[in-house]
Parts: sequence; structure tokens; C-alpha cells
Amino acid sequence: MTTATTGAPYRPPRLRQAIRKTLLYVAIIFVTAITIFPIYWMIVSTIQPNKYSLSFPPPFFPQEISFTQFGLLFAQRPIANWLKNSFVIASISMLLVTALSVLGAYALSSLRWRGRSLFGLFLLVTQMLPEILVLVPLYILYNQLEQLNSLPALAVVDAAFALPVCIWILKGVFDAVPPEVLDAALVDGCSEFSTVWRIVLPLSLPGLVAVAVVAFFGGWNEFLYASILVGSTELMPASVGLTTLSGLSGVLVEQYMGAGMIFSILPVAFYLSMQRYIIAGLSAGAVKG
Amino acid sequence: MKPSSGKVHRRLHLLPYLLALPIILYEGIFIVSPILQGIYGSFTRIDLGSGKPQIWVGLANYARMFADDLFWQALKNTLTISAMVIIVALVAALATALLFNRPFRFRAGARALMMIPWAFPEVPVVMIFIWILSPQFGVANVVARLIPGVTQNPMWLQDSNLAIGSVVLISAWKAFPFYSLVILAALQSVSQELYDAAKVDGANVFQLFRNITLPGILPTIEVLLVLAVIFSFKGFALIFLLTGGGPNYATETVILRIYNAAFRFYDYSYAAAMGVAGFVISLVIAIGFIIMQARRARELA
Repeated sequence: MTTATTGAPYRPPRLRQAIRKTLLYVAIIFVTAITIFPIYWMIVSTIQPNKYSLSFPPPFFPQEISFTQFGLLFAQRPIANWLKNSFVIASISMLLVTALSVLGAYALSSLRWRGRSLFGLFLLVTQMLPEILVLVPLYILYNQLEQLNSLPALAVVDAAFALPVCIWILKGVFDAVPPEVLDAALVDGCSEFSTVWRIVLPLSLPGLVAVAVVAFFGGWNEFLYASILVGSTELMPASVGLTTLSGLSGVLVEQYMGAGMIFSILPVAFYLSMQRYIIAGLSAGAVKG
Repeated sequence: MKPSSGKVHRRLHLLPYLLALPIILYEGIFIVSPILQGIYGSFTRIDLGSGKPQIWVGLANYARMFADDLFWQALKNTLTISAMVIIVALVAALATALLFNRPFRFRAGARALMMIPWAFPEVPVVMIFIWILSPQFGVANVVARLIPGVTQNPMWLQDSNLAIGSVVLISAWKAFPFYSLVILAALQSVSQELYDAAKVDGANVFQLFRNITLPGILPTIEVLLVLAVIFSFKGFALIFLLTGGGPNYATETVILRIYNAAFRFYDYSYAAAMGVAGFVISLVIAIGFIIMQARRARELA
């Protein structure tokens, strides 16, 4: 072996590459498995009868599969009503935020005006404030106005916290519309309004969807405001309702985990499919530089 | 009418203000004005239950805050928990980003799986982990029992140190995919030519990382660091639902302290004073973020 001067055993390059590749795959599988294990465990605990979950140590793979828990969950718990309330809150927030963020994003992206960077700064700061700071005064105000226990009154607050992020998301998308297209439309006699309506918005459709997703699931997932501003069990959204399940007697682990799964399916699916836009908006410039 | 594009913009010079106005009003009503009311409220005594009028008490709430051991403890908890979460999350993010930056089969699918914790709502995340950490049936005990000397299931959320550790790991688990994806984007923008040139010069893996990769992604990591500080300072639902701030205030952050003062002890004016402290802290971090972004924009220009 002429090349073994360094003391390391000689390996043909191909074998070395194969070892490297295997190590890479082992590392990736290991990291991914650890990351998604909690989710896997939620699914396992939902679909297997609870005699397996309530044994120690529990089996790592489901021994038996059953789906009766979903029926019982909807029959015995007000989960359908909770989801309906979440849907109402999320929809109101989505409509408000989508409409307002088009205005803000167009002002930030396509127009040059004095105060533009101040406006951007204002949005950035509001985006970074902790929600709790607003909650105490808002609770006192809603108490005076008798607006506690109102889904629209809750939704408008959720919208206020989703709005800055959504404006950033949409601004990034509007920025990508070539300015020549806008100028050409304006020169052709299109009004500013119809330029936006007929050219900018259709070109920015994925961005609009991303904004709608963030606003909708911002309201859907929100827990803090919902837990304080809505007290009645009738109007409780699912994010708050789920937390009451653990305290109820007779709620079985497969129902508890199943409720969590039902609540999470939509946000996970939509966030994942829109992640590129959402992350760009959340990091406001950190991604694109 | 065919005005030049310059003319169009002059004609429309009011438009941006008209567009921004509803947004400023909206955020003004629901965010700015409550915060101003909170600042005012911190100088008063508010008694909602008895219907007594709000009375001016000057700096009394602040004097109480500075003398309150639990407030200082909450500040300390916020610092230590945030620091640990940020370190764990950013290290995990960097490691996974480097790993996922290599070409391999099913990369898109594996990346999507990695993003799931980030996409999961906080409330079900807490439900999962309370179940996983259940002292009786939790699967975490199976892992803990592998450690020599552990013969009993640990009281994950009932023991102070274990509760802090659990809160940190769960928060980092939820946060790191976001940072990982941002770092991954930065990695992919580092010029491949630099690597090729360095390899020709005989650089090894560590030299490549230290001299090309790290300088290339450092600005992104800087920005992420500040974002991570903001996110972890703001965090509420995860810790609140996991521990409520306990056991014995070990995981009570400033945000939880404000919540508990207001909504467990109905001490609104004291909560408002601590809210002002929280406002000042987040304003300082936000200004830091903005200065950093502005400096970066200048460097790129």
C-alpha cells in the first residue's frame, strides 16, 4: 500500500463515499425521528385502545387500531361547537387582515412617500410587543363596554396582532411584481385602483393565500386572549376548550389526543404548504437580506 | 388622457397616507391605545370588583414592583430560560441546517417533516408533552430509566430543575425548525465557487466551515438571535399550560408574572406596572433589531 503514509488504512474512494453517505442517512433519519417523535406518539396514543397507552412501559408501535374514540369525542364533548367558534373567530380575523394588509403592503411596496419607513418601523414594533401588554387594559375596556363573551370582539384583537406580519408577507410578494408592468398599466390609462385589482393582486395570489392562512390560523390557534375575553362555555373556541378536557373526569387519553389531532390537522397542513411566504414575513428581511 | 408616470404619482400623492391611515387607526385602537391606558393605569389603583373609582397613587405600584422578590425572580427566570432556549434552539437549527444542506434522496419530504413542530399549534403541543411527561404512563420515563441509577419515574413538571429543563427543551423543539429553515436559506446563498476554490487549495472540512460557511451565514444568525430573544420574551401559552409558572415560581417568566397578577390575583394596577416594565424591555429589544437590520441594509447597499 503506497498511499498509507498517514497511518490511516487505505480505502478505495468509492467505499469511503459509501460510508459517508450511509452516515449522512443515519444522521438524517435519527434527527428527523427525534423531531417528529412527539407527533408520532400523539397519533399512536389516539389510534390504539387505551389499555396499551395505560400500561408501562407502553408499546412503541400500535398493537391494535380503533377509531371509535372520534365518534365518542363528538358525541360526549362539545368539540363541534368549540371548532365552530374557532372557525367564526378565524374567519373574521382573516377577512379583516387580508383586506387591510393589501392596503398596507401596497403603500409600503409600490409607493414612495414621506413617512414610509416610519410606517414600516411602526409595524415592526407592534409586531414585537408581547400580547399580554395589551390584554390587561383591553380586558378592563371590554368589561366596561360589555364586550366580554363576544366572538367578533375577540377576533378584531387577534387581527390586530396578525396584521403587521401579514403586511410584511404581502409587501415581499408585491415587491416581486416588476415595476414596468405597473407603469405600463398606468400609462395605458388604468386607474391606480384597477391596476392593483387587475394586475398586482392576481400576480400575488400565493401571497394573498399566505396572508389568509396566517390570519385565519392566528385566530384559530390563539389561546391567551380567548381564555380571558371569552368566559362562557357556549362561546369557547377549541384552543381553550381543549385545555379544559384534561380536567374533566372520564376523558380518556385517546379522546384527549384525538381532540388535539383534529384541532391541529388544518393549521399544520396550511402552514406547511405556505411556509416559504410565512417565514419570509416572520423574519422581516432576515431571509432575503 | 395619457399622463407620464411621474405625473400620475404626483396626482396620487395623498394615496399612501389614505392607505396607511386605516391600518394606523386599527393598530392604534387595539394596540397603542391599550398600552397607553396601561401606562396610565400603572400610576393608579384599579378595583374592578367593588366599582370603586380609579385613584391616582403615583409611583406606588412601581415602588412595590422594585421591592417584589417575585418580580426579580421572574426577570431572572426570563433571562435564564430564554438564554437556554435560544442556545439549544439555535445550535439544533445550525446542526440540522448543515445536515439538510447536503444533497440526499427525499430531502424535500424530510424537510417538511422537520417543519412540523413549528407548524403545530401551541395548545396541542402542550397536550402531547403533558402526556409524554406523565409521571405514571409517560413514554419519557422509558428513556429516563435507561440512565443508570434512575429507578423511579421522574416528576418531570413537579420538580423545579426538571420543570425548567422540560420547558426549555419543549420550547426549543417548537422553535428550532423556523431558525433551521432560515439558516438553510442563508447556506444556499453562500457562493459555491468559494468552496470549490478553497477545496482546490486543499482546505479541510473544518477550514471550509470556519472561513467560508460561518462568515457567510453570520449576519443571518445575528438577526435570528435577536428574533429569538423577542420570541422567547413574548412566549406565554407553552409555559403557562405546561407549568403555570410553577413549581414554586421556578418557571414564572415576566409575562406569566403579569398574567398571574392580573388574572389570578385581580391585581390590575400592579400588573399594569409590570406591563410597563415588559413594554420597556421589548422596546429595547425591538430597537436593537431595527438598528441591526438598518446596519445590514447599509452594508448591502
